[in-house]
Amino acid sequence: MADVVSFVIFFIGLYALMVKKHVLKSIIALVIMETAVILYFIAGGFKEGMLPPIGDVLPERMVDPLPQALMITAIVIGIASTAVALVMYIHLHRKYGTEDWEEVMKKRIEKDA
Amino acid sequence: MIPGYVFVLTPIIFGILLFLLNHGHAKQSALLFQASLVFASFYNFVKLRALDPPLSMECLGGWSSTIGITLKWDLVSAVFVILTTTLFFFLFVFDYRSGHVDRLFLMLFCTLQGLIIGIFLTHDFFNVFVLYEVSTIIVSILIMFQKDKQFIYDGMFYLLTNLTAMVFFLFGVALLYRMLGVLDFALVRERMALLSDVRSLILPYAFFLTALSLKTAILPLFSWLPRAHATPSAPSTVSALLSGLFVKNSLYLFFRIRNIFDPFLGMTEFFLFLGWLTAFFGALLALSQKDIKLILAYSTVSQLGLITMGLNMDHDLAFWGAIYHILNHAVFKSTLFLSAGIIAESYGTRDIEKIRGVGRRMPLVAAATILAILGITGAPFFSGSMSKYWIAYGTKDALTTLGFFIANFWTITCFIRYSTIFLDAQTHPTKSSPLSPTMQHITVFVMGLLSLFGGLFARELTIFFFGKHLPLDPLSYLQKGGIFLVSLFGGFLALRVIKRSKILEKIRTLDLSFNDVGILMFLFFSLSFLYLMVKYAFL
Repeated sequence: MADVVSFVIFFIGLYALMVKKHVLKSIIALVIMETAVILYFIAGGFKEGMLPPIGDVLPERMVDPLPQALMITAIVIGIASTAVALVMYIHLHRKYGTEDWEEVMKKRIEKDA
Repeated sequence: MIPGYVFVLTPIIFGILLFLLNHGHAKQSALLFQASLVFASFYNFVKLRALDPPLSMECLGGWSSTIGITLKWDLVSAVFVILTTTLFFFLFVFDYRSGHVDRLFLMLFCTLQGLIIGIFLTHDFFNVFVLYEVSTIIVSILIMFQKDKQFIYDGMFYLLTNLTAMVFFLFGVALLYRMLGVLDFALVRERMALLSDVRSLILPYAFFLTALSLKTAILPLFSWLPRAHATPSAPSTVSALLSGLFVKNSLYLFFRIRNIFDPFLGMTEFFLFLGWLTAFFGALLALSQKDIKLILAYSTVSQLGLITMGLNMDHDLAFWGAIYHILNHAVFKSTLFLSAGIIAESYGTRDIEKIRGVGRRMPLVAAATILAILGITGAPFFSGSMSKYWIAYGTKDALTTLGFFIANFWTITCFIRYSTIFLDAQTHPTKSSPLSPTMQHITVFVMGLLSLFGGLFARELTIFFFGKHLPLDPLSYLQKGGIFLVSLFGGFLALRVIKRSKILEKIRTLDLSFNDVGILMFLFFSLSFLYLMVKYAFL
C-alpha cells in the first residue's frame, strides 16, 4: 500500500514541476517528490510486529535500521537544499519582481541584451 | 597507499580552517596544500600500479561493505583523482592574484574538490547521492559568486533541475535497495545475477538513467548546462572547473552504473544514438551563439555527446579512447574557458563579433587558445585527434562513422568561427582595461601546451595511466588527418553559407523554460522505461 502511495505522491510532485509556473510551487513540488522517496524507503524496512531500532532491542526483533539511517541523512540534506532554494527564491523575487518562471526568463533575456 | 578518505576530507577540513582562521597567507597556504595533494595523488597512483591486480578497496570505519561505505581505487579512478588535483592546482595558480578570491570562495572551492574526489572514489549508491546533492548546492552558490553581476535565474535553474535529477536518482536507489538489500556497487552486481526476472530492474534503471542523463547533459536534458557554465557571474575558474571537471563526474558515474546494469539490461544502442544527437545539436547550438563563453559551454555539450558515443560503442578501443578524451577535454576546455575569461575581461565584452586582434594584444593567451582549439577540433598531433581517432575506431557501420565525422565537422566549423577573435582589428578598442596578471597568461599557456603534449605522447600516456596498449596505424591516422583538412576547408565554406541565412538567429533564440525541462524529464523517463520494457518483453 505504502509503495503505491509513494509512487502516486512522487508523480504528483513531478506533475507540479511540469505545469506550475510559480517558482515557490516548484520548490514545494521538489519537496513533495523527496517525501515520496523517503516514504518508499522507510516503508521498505517495515515489517508487522517489529520494533524501531532504538534502545535495547534484540536485532532479530527490530526493523532494518539501514533505511532509517539513510533517510535521516536524506532529510537533513533535503532541508539544506530547500533552504538554499528558498533563499535564492527571495533574491529572485527582489531582482525581477516576479515569481513566474516564464516572466523571469523573459526579463533575464532583456537584461542580458 | 594514502587512504581515500584523506583525499575527500582534507580539502573540506582545510577549506573550513581557511575560512575560520582568516589569516593573511590564505592563498599561499592553499597553493602549498594543492601542490601536496597533487604529489599525494601521484604517489597513490604509483603505489596502485605496483599492486596486482591494480585495485584497492577501503571499508570506512571497519564496517563490512554490506552496510558500510566503501571506497575503491582502480586505475581509472586514480587517474581521475590525479586529474582533479592537477586541475585544481592550475586553477589556484591562475586565481592567485584575482580580486574575487576571498576566504569564502576558497572554502567553497576546496570543499567542492573533496566532493569531486569523493564521487570518483565512491563505490556505493547512497554515497553518490549525498556527495552529489552537497556539490549541487556548492556549485549553485559558486556560479553566482560575483555579486555585482548576479544572474540569479541561472543559479536557480541549475539548482532546481539538478535537485530534481537527484530525487530521481534516490528513487532508483530506494527501488534497488528494496530489491537487493545492498547499496555497494560490487554487491549489487553480484545479487542482480540472482534475480529470477531481470525485468524488475527496468524501473530502477530508468530512474538512474534519467538522473544521470540530466547530469551528463544528454540531448533533451542539457539546457541547464550552458546557463550554469557560462553565466556572467561565475568567475572563469568556476566555469573552467564545471566544464572541465565537474561534468566528468557524471560521465564517470554514467559508465560505472551502466557497467553494473549492462549484463542484464543493454542500453548501448539507445545511448549511442542519443550521444550522436547531443554531439550534433550541441555543436550546432555552439555555432549559433554570439557570447564566447556560451560557445564554449555548448561545445562542452557536444563533446559530452561524443564521449557518450565512445563509451557506448561496445568496443574496447573506443571505450578507452573515450576515457582518454575525458582527460583531454578537461585540459583543453579549461584552457579555453580561462583564456576566454581573460579575453572577456580585457575587452570588456563577450560578444565574438566585437573582439578582434587578440593575437597582438595578448600573445600568450592567444597561443594557449590556438593550442586548445587545435586540441578540441582534433588537429593531427594534438590530444583530441588521438582520442577521437580511437573513438572512431569503434564505429562499426558506415552510418555511425559518417555521423561521427559530421558531428566533428560542426565542432570544427564552430571553432573556425571562434578563431575570428584573432583577426586584426580595424578599429582599436576604445576601452582599455588593465591587463590581467602575467601569472594567468603563463598558466593558460602551460595548460595549452599540455594539449599538444597529450597528443604527442598519447600512446605512452595511455600505457602509463591505464596500462593499455592502444594501437595506432600511421596510414589510417594520416587518413584521419586528411579528413580533418577537408572538414576544415568545408567548415570555411559552411560558415560563409550559414552567415547569410537566418538559421543561426532562429536556433539561438531557442530556450527551454523550467517547466519544459520537467516535461522532458518525464518524457525521457517514460521513453527509456518503455524502450527497455519492449526490448525485454519476450524473455
